[in-house]
Amino acid sequence: MTRPRLLLLLPTATYRTTAFVEAARRLDVALTVASERPSTFESALPDALVTLDFASVPRTVDQALAIHRDSALTAALGVDDETVILATAINLALGRAANPLPAVEAARDKFLQREALRAAGVPVPDFTLHDLALDPATLAGTAPYPCVLKPLRLAASRGVIRADDPAQFVATFRRIRHLLDGGDVPDCGAAGRQLLVESFVPGPEVALEGLLEKGRLHVLAMFDKPDPLDGPYFEETIYVTPSRLPEDAQRALADVAEDAAHAIGLVEGPVHAELRWNPRGAWLIELAARPIGGRCSAALRFGTDITLEEVVLRHALGLPLPSLTREPRASGVMMIPVPGQGGTLRGVKGTERARALPGVDDVVITATGQKLVPWPEGSRYPGFIFAHGAAPADVELALRAAHRQLEWELEPLD
Amino acid sequence: MDQNIGITAQPVDAHKCKFVVSEPVFAGVRRFTSAAEAEGSPLAERIFAIPGGFVTEVMVSGENVTVTKASEAPWQAVGKAVGSAIRETLRGAVPAVAAAAPRGAGPAGPGDDELYERVADLFEQEVNPMVARHGGFVELIDVQEAVVMLRMGGGCQGCGMASVTLRQGIEGVLAQHIPEVKAVVDITDHGAGANPYFASSKK
Repeated sequence: MTRPRLLLLLPTATYRTTAFVEAARRLDVALTVASERPSTFESALPDALVTLDFASVPRTVDQALAIHRDSALTAALGVDDETVILATAINLALGRAANPLPAVEAARDKFLQREALRAAGVPVPDFTLHDLALDPATLAGTAPYPCVLKPLRLAASRGVIRADDPAQFVATFRRIRHLLDGGDVPDCGAAGRQLLVESFVPGPEVALEGLLEKGRLHVLAMFDKPDPLDGPYFEETIYVTPSRLPEDAQRALADVAEDAAHAIGLVEGPVHAELRWNPRGAWLIELAARPIGGRCSAALRFGTDITLEEVVLRHALGLPLPSLTREPRASGVMMIPVPGQGGTLRGVKGTERARALPGVDDVVITATGQKLVPWPEGSRYPGFIFAHGAAPADVELALRAAHRQLEWELEPLD
Repeated sequence: MDQNIGITAQPVDAHKCKFVVSEPVFAGVRRFTSAAEAEGSPLAERIFAIPGGFVTEVMVSGENVTVTKASEAPWQAVGKAVGSAIRETLRGAVPAVAAAAPRGAGPAGPGDDELYERVADLFEQEVNPMVARHGGFVELIDVQEAVVMLRMGGGCQGCGMASVTLRQGIEGVLAQHIPEVKAVVDITDHGAGANPYFASSKK
């Protein structure tokens, strides 16, 4: 039987490379890895490594079809918001079951997504879209307070800031405009010159990891975020699963996530949703047509020790799915916050002490030598801590205890 | 004292787990694929003898002991026995892991010797000139039982695309030129890479 061949679209800045490449190995899938910048081995191994123009959907599709003529691709898979769109377009061109292209485009665009959700009656915050060229002092008079200002396309809550009054609104608006004018922000075209203002939804936030199959949502995990996300910035830290919210709340949150996926038009593949819960019920904050980001997927195991990436790959290739039941132990991850005022990370002490603590599985430092900028301007974590335990509270304690062991050596930024 | 030896279990999957020890276990790299092969190395002997473990491979490299098992037994149970083996043999009178036999002395020796030379030549002629374009280099550490052990450095160490370079690049070149190589093991400490060519930053 011929091995299935996957075109895996991996941006060079992703954290997800190893998890997906190793999952493909475990499944004995032939892999063609595509990135937006050349690999050093590309000329020697043209079946295994290719460079694609990630900036252009039609061009990427043409390039992928050319690869398909030589290498018989089974499917394409993207790992982040941008490459998911490219993979969807490629899969449609290959004649595979895939989400409609407008659905994945709406999943990436915070404004299009909210419009679709509001039209379908999915509970979302009130929102308005503004051009960054407008005068914030004028807009401040009409904003709902407290409100949250959000760039349309940045990831990891970068540039997301709460404002409680008109003065804060004006300062926040200018701060986001300055951030988007910076050189290290990806070019998002017109979306890069707009900003979303939405009412702040109080209450605990959860992250839902799911897989859509013919429109049906399988909830793979629901993570609590025990550090309150009340602003002014929204840097994420701890995720712990299973959720400690009451079961009826979890059901309501999952229902809203599924309604949201349907409202956007998503029917296949992984979804990652951020939701809030308060006395008025469940609220959809954001939904993405991709799996959880960073290294966080390492906190998840299904069935007989199957990784999230194996589940996603199997689904993408049409292979039989394993049990989608998460392991019985509680599990969690800390996206390590940027220490203090940030700086260039020169070293970390205490990782061995942290790893030796009960319940701690691993401490992974991913930013040695890199510049770390605190949120909301920054979006790079110094690393990740993973823990397991009998109960979610044990996991949270282990993650916090491990974090306290870490001592940071940072060189001040210029 | 034994309790001062810190050991962290880092399961890769149900069958493979890396144990990171707070002190060096062996100055070099050794791989054992059977109890018979482990003879003379008390640590590997003890791990292969874990009841119900069905251990199929033990690899020791610096402070890391990587154990592969065929059983479905959870790592919580097997891991404790591995931890005891590490602590007790590190405190034993003889080295926990014996130095490798001189090349050519064992039945697989000449094969590995020859493979080592060919892999080293391939790394010098093809692999390193390629990775040098991104400021990286690849160091051949050893070849044991046709398994290549390597370490990445420069722009490859900690690079967000290092596993692509390894699995799609280096393994592919080895498969083209030296198909006798059975597997490649990367022993790089990628967390210490301070100058990666591609740094991960996107959530």
